[in-house]
Amino acid sequence: MTFGQVKKTIVVGLGNPIMADEGIGTVLVDELSKLAAAGKLASENIEYYDGGCGGMYLLHTIAERQKAILIDCCLMGTEPGTIRRFTPDDVNSVKKMAHLSLHEVDILKVIELAKQLGQCPDEIVIFGIEPVKIEPQMHLNEPLKSRLGDYITEIRKELEK
Amino acid sequence: MSKNININVHHLTRVEGHGNIVVNIKDRTIEKCEWQVPEAPRFFEAMVRGRRYDDIQTIVSRICGICSISHSLVATKAVEDALGLKVTEQTDMVRHLMHYSEQLQSHVLHVGYLVAPDLFGEKSVVPLAGKATEAVLKIVKCHRVANQMSALLAGRITHPITLTPGGMTRVPTEEELKNLKATLEDCVPDLVDVCKVVLSVAGNLPNFERETEYVSLKQTNPLYKGTLSEYSFYHGDITSTDCNGSGDMPVDKWESVANEYVVNQSTAKWCKWHRESYFAGALARYKNQSKFLSPLAKQVEKMFGLTPKTYNPFMNNVAQLAEAAHVVEASLEIIDKLLTKGIKPEKVDVALRAGRGYAGIEAPRGILFHAYEFDKNGECTWGNCCIPTNQNHANIQKDFEKLVPQFMDEGEDALRQKMEMLVRAYDPCISCSTHMLNVEFIK
Repeated sequence: MTFGQVKKTIVVGLGNPIMADEGIGTVLVDELSKLAAAGKLASENIEYYDGGCGGMYLLHTIAERQKAILIDCCLMGTEPGTIRRFTPDDVNSVKKMAHLSLHEVDILKVIELAKQLGQCPDEIVIFGIEPVKIEPQMHLNEPLKSRLGDYITEIRKELEK
Repeated sequence: MSKNININVHHLTRVEGHGNIVVNIKDRTIEKCEWQVPEAPRFFEAMVRGRRYDDIQTIVSRICGICSISHSLVATKAVEDALGLKVTEQTDMVRHLMHYSEQLQSHVLHVGYLVAPDLFGEKSVVPLAGKATEAVLKIVKCHRVANQMSALLAGRITHPITLTPGGMTRVPTEEELKNLKATLEDCVPDLVDVCKVVLSVAGNLPNFERETEYVSLKQTNPLYKGTLSEYSFYHGDITSTDCNGSGDMPVDKWESVANEYVVNQSTAKWCKWHRESYFAGALARYKNQSKFLSPLAKQVEKMFGLTPKTYNPFMNNVAQLAEAAHVVEASLEIIDKLLTKGIKPEKVDVALRAGRGYAGIEAPRGILFHAYEFDKNGECTWGNCCIPTNQNHANIQKDFEKLVPQFMDEGEDALRQKMEMLVRAYDPCISCSTHMLNVEFIK
């Protein structure tokens, strides 16, 4: 994100790559950025962005966009490695928060705030990926690691719509 | 009111880590009053072992999504100390700007999104946005400007990519600096409006005082003498209100200031220096350096009646507003200096050597220390980080011990609210390393 015009679509990878599968979003957006840089994925109107664990900053990252695609580790009660495409309206957050600190963030709440302020993209799509483990570790676990290609195929389909 | 109170703001998950507030009062006798942090250790110090000297700042930037610039900056400084690297005046000033951007974004975020809802009597910023839309839009605008500034200087809003030991991988162009200057100048009236909004509800800040030790940096770098950056976030020795002008510590002795120790009620370490607890953060910086505040920051100070004799921890958030004003003016001063001198990319030369390095800077929530050791090939063999939140845990506990008897007669709900507000005044970094979604599908 810089001063000036923003691209219509943003793909944001969320999570922390030093917390094992929690970092799946950042790993995937890194792969997608490399493909785009190599001309193997559209980039003219699409920005690929490592959102890390910035939480509330997402409000600004998605502002002024037509479409935001968020990729994040997600507890969905499915088999580890499962990828699901959904919109914020398809789910209820069951994340428990103490509301004691800004350091705990529920991305769905940030989207709600963006809507309240009239700064939400027309379309938000979330790709949730079920983790195996979330703990201090600098690499992904199987089956997520060997399914990166499948995940990219799913996201590519969304980008080509 | 009931003679018995049981407060248990509790979270079971050890994955994310949370702070728990536990109070048991029986027949008006306080049996238990604890601030607990049952967070799983994150082992960042172990993760950096075996990594190259120029990987460290990238890895540790992931410790915190809000203070990632501070973690990257302090790690870079510690690596430079270990390798004996000196940076140019231009690098130092660009890093200052980057650091100021984080202070601004974090302070506006903390006061506007976390504290303001309490003062307006709302549960969070989401309902507040419906009730006080104009005020929230001002807060969002200031936050957005700070984020744009971070993106320009750090390469992205969070987890910087422009820092490298010995220098910068990218510096802004003259045109970008001019745009930044115009944007910051444009932001000043909005920031003043945000202060006025907070002032209009500041009467809801609890009337509570507890004097403690206040620890922060104190500028020693002659480059910044007589400038707004004399109010230091980045250079200098460690000082405290208990030092009374003598006994300041160089940052390479930070382990003797933090004196980390373990307690039964928490997995996070606690800290103490001259007393059983100390305060780190905006209020501490303000108390130790208030005479160096910028003109606009002094106006904010006056608006709220903030003085170096303020002992109310809730006023930390007011000190943050003064600092937000200060860093905008300090940034404008540095931008002018960079534009006058001319800014250009600089080559970075690194000669490896074995050694240990220490650094301390001010993260938005308080003084932050890192230390690393490298072998002759530049591989990390040891690391040690001490975050401001850990330095504040004992102080939160001591605040609780004074606050509970003072407010227990107001009843359980009011007491719980004040204790939660107190924790929010510090905004501890206790669940930042993971932000995963947790959802159920609507059938």
